[in-house]
Amino acid sequence: MTTPPAIAAQNLTLTLGTGASAVAILKGIDLIVPQGQTLALLGPSGSGKSSLMAVLSGLERASSGSLGVAGEDFGNLDEDALARARRGRIGIVLQAFHLLPTMTALENVATPLELAGLPQPRERAAAELEAVGLGHRLGHYPAQLSGGEQQRVAIARATAPRPALIFADEPTGNLDAATGAGIVDLLFARRAETQATLVIITHDGALAERCERVVTLADGRIASDSAQ
Amino acid sequence: MNASALSWSAAWRIARRDLSARFRGLRLLLVCLFLGVGAIAAIGTLTGSIESELASRGRAILGGDIEAQVWQRGLQPDERRALAALGVVSEGTRMQAMASAGDATAPVELKAVDARWPLVGRLRLEDGREVGAPPDGTAWIGAGAAERLGVPPGGAIVIGGERLTIAGIIADEPDRLSEGLSLGAVAIVSDALPRRAGLTAPGAMFRTKARVAMPPGGDPENAVAALKRQFPDAGFSFRTRDNAAPGAERFVSRMGEFLVLVGLAALAIAGIGIGGGVSSYLEARRTSIATLKVLGATSRDIARIYLLQIGAATLAGSLAGLAAGVLVTPLLGRALGTLLPVTPGFVFDPGALTTAAAYGLLVALVFAAPPLARARAFPAMALMRARVAPLALPKRAVLLPVGLGLAAIVALALARAAQVSVTALFLAGAAAMLALLGALGWAIRHGAARLPRPRHPLLRAGLANLHRPGAQTGALVTALGFGLSAFVLLAAIQTSLEANIAKRIPQRAPDYFVLDVPRDRVAAFEQAVTQAIPQAAIRTVPALRGAILAYGPEGRMTRVADLKELPDKAWALRGERGLTYADALPEGNALVAGRWWPKDYAGPPLVSVDAELADAIGLKLGDRITVSVLGVERTATVASLRRLDWESMGFNYVLVFSPDTLIDAPHNLAATIDVPPGARNAGLLRTLAAAFPATSVIETGGLLREARTLLSQMSAAILAAASVAVLAGLAVLLGAIAAARASRTYDTVILRVLGASRRQLLLLQVAEYGFLAGALALVALALGSAIGWAIVTRMFEFDWLPDWPRVLAVLAAGLVLVLGFALAGSLPLLRAKPARALREL
Repeated sequence: MTTPPAIAAQNLTLTLGTGASAVAILKGIDLIVPQGQTLALLGPSGSGKSSLMAVLSGLERASSGSLGVAGEDFGNLDEDALARARRGRIGIVLQAFHLLPTMTALENVATPLELAGLPQPRERAAAELEAVGLGHRLGHYPAQLSGGEQQRVAIARATAPRPALIFADEPTGNLDAATGAGIVDLLFARRAETQATLVIITHDGALAERCERVVTLADGRIASDSAQ
Repeated sequence: MNASALSWSAAWRIARRDLSARFRGLRLLLVCLFLGVGAIAAIGTLTGSIESELASRGRAILGGDIEAQVWQRGLQPDERRALAALGVVSEGTRMQAMASAGDATAPVELKAVDARWPLVGRLRLEDGREVGAPPDGTAWIGAGAAERLGVPPGGAIVIGGERLTIAGIIADEPDRLSEGLSLGAVAIVSDALPRRAGLTAPGAMFRTKARVAMPPGGDPENAVAALKRQFPDAGFSFRTRDNAAPGAERFVSRMGEFLVLVGLAALAIAGIGIGGGVSSYLEARRTSIATLKVLGATSRDIARIYLLQIGAATLAGSLAGLAAGVLVTPLLGRALGTLLPVTPGFVFDPGALTTAAAYGLLVALVFAAPPLARARAFPAMALMRARVAPLALPKRAVLLPVGLGLAAIVALALARAAQVSVTALFLAGAAAMLALLGALGWAIRHGAARLPRPRHPLLRAGLANLHRPGAQTGALVTALGFGLSAFVLLAAIQTSLEANIAKRIPQRAPDYFVLDVPRDRVAAFEQAVTQAIPQAAIRTVPALRGAILAYGPEGRMTRVADLKELPDKAWALRGERGLTYADALPEGNALVAGRWWPKDYAGPPLVSVDAELADAIGLKLGDRITVSVLGVERTATVASLRRLDWESMGFNYVLVFSPDTLIDAPHNLAATIDVPPGARNAGLLRTLAAAFPATSVIETGGLLREARTLLSQMSAAILAAASVAVLAGLAVLLGAIAAARASRTYDTVILRVLGASRRQLLLLQVAEYGFLAGALALVALALGSAIGWAIVTRMFEFDWLPDWPRVLAVLAAGLVLVLGFALAGSLPLLRAKPARALREL
């Protein structure tokens, strides 16, 4: 029996708006990502990187084409079914961290575990924060953490349910170079430990070089796809 | 992985984390529920406690299980036997009389009782003794009479020419409440006195009251029904312990219903605030909601999490409201003072509190459901793009709770309404008002979007604020509309009530009413009056009492005893009423149909009827009316209909007969005495008490003062209740302005960065709110006036007499307040340095 790819996208399109104001964002994307691969999505602003990540992670539905993620057919799922499909399978790290401001670091990390109905969410969240070096910051609120620390919490939140896939959208975009490098190290370390597939969106060529594969987008299409 | 919905307990764990301990962001919801639920709880507790007090103490208030009352005669032996067969009977008489001591004279309400009185409870005297009927030759008198006569306990007074020793001053009379309106301080004497003093001579205005204490298990209602069958035409008015003080119960019930409507209005306004508050709260949590969705939360999970948060705040607000409602009841009771038949203390009324809580929760459900449903529809992609089109609003998720909640509110309000039609009208009015303001908000928003864009950037920004995505125009229009309407309403009601008080209590009423002037001594009476007050104007009319037994076309007359329920406004059919005869149309009356009989008319008996009564019972010219006067039936033909002038405070009789019809019945005259301002009054009361011991005088000055006080207290109660609604309106207004401000912070900061001066930004705010408030002022004027008119004329049956300059002044003050709030809210933003404001965005 062959293992299904982590991502199997065929002729994906995404068009926003209707009629005269319709804008084609993705224009026929074909992409197969094997399980456990690390992949960088490169491309200039407006090339469709973030939109592709949104579609692949189930945050947005493609306008047409087929999409299988972690063995699930995303093509026929509505918003809520996509949310359920993400639970425990997909972890997402965003440029602006997007921690829940009213919750502590521990509670932020425990929330996806609780949503997925996993046992002992607080204990697992604490262990995950320990793993990202924030064992001493469990009770702190996002506003009491530095940008780097917030992104560590976001990484812990993404990896805590042991997802098959991790998406990271410009994870160092809001951080200085030194902090950003630390975050990238951490992200790759956590991925190595969980053996998850990692898709990173970045402008940073150095970061892209650390991935096994680099896919470049231009104007909503794949311009190049190279293994390293 | 778990693909099912988040459990309630897990949802609560997440909800609790996200919920500030001090309900930050949900305070408008808390305040609105606190005010609305508090108002309804207080009102329900107050009226409920009074009604239950009246009901539970019915036997003590009535002084027995049954009371039978008849005018101008004692009981017949067969009537006495029938009552005695039911239980222990106490019999006595009530009348107006004059008491004098030396030079001092005072009108008193004479209450003559037999040795068995009181059948229930004891009379408490100021010296602490608990006593029953006074021994013959003595009297228990009210503190007011003792003070006015200047006689201490042990002193002597004279009533009806009889000398009495004051044996004690009354502190608490057990059956006071059932005695009804008092026209003077009470004097309780032995039942032998009126007979001896000739106060119960044929034709004298007195009532005989018999109370029956039935053995345990007796059924007063059945007994009264049997008595009515046995003595259909005896002119009895009956009361039972379940209906001991019907006037007080009616008043409490009517006042209670009005107050509940005010409470509901406060809740409706609070509902707007709840909707606005929840909307702003969830809007501020867009990012959190989207983040939760990114982490795998479904729309249903989001609905559960935020429903639990809003539910917790609703519960907290409602509980605080309930507590405040209970605590404020004694204060309300004290504020309403003598308006209330009993003064409630701290009362815990589970029924009233449950109702208030149910209203609060239902209103919260109805108004919080739409924003909650919108929150469900926030997409996860909101994190990736600043503004994305929301998911389709699940109509069922809105319609079901809103529909069910509204239906439950309507059912609850109607089920508890004393006047279903008034409540239904109120609910329909509130719904129409909401719909109207909603439509207006929509029209302003859409109208602003279609207007040509002004060239000036600030005007352009101001106009755009009215219609851009996320604009609070709808909420502001509703809040401003309700708030300003509440101002207009309050001012219109207040000034109308003041004008009614001034109009209804005439400045020139007769100074004295005199009862029981012997008709063979009219000349002597007039002489006695003019001797004391030479310029006095005296008017006398024959005064009889009788009950209407039957009415209608000859041969097909309706018997009042057969009516299951009296027609609306046909109060004159209830018990005995004053009757008179005259050969000319009474002063102040106007003929509206038929003709007045000629002077010295001596044909078949004729009667002139109050047009309002005729209208209520369908009486036509040529129909017949049969009355019972002192047990004798007399039938007359309706010759004319008259419009009475109830506001003149002179003599007003519903039935005026042609003289021949009644002149042979034993009766006395009643008189009014007008004293010109500044005229010398050389002891009128003393003179009359000496010369006419069986005659009683009522001074109108005190009555008018009492009426003014009562109306003023009523007006104060209405205002106090209505101010809760206004307070809720203000909270909503502040909330809407705060919400609108939050959505404009960004624009204001950017405009500052681009070089707009503080003055320009202030002007922008003034122009925008000025436009909205100005447009809504007109709407509020119309809406507030319409509701005020309905309350004043339909509910209280007063005249619509608002003082428009004052109403407009109050509205202008409301507008200034709105602009003040709006500008004050913007000041911190305007004072901030642009760079700092940018960082804080």
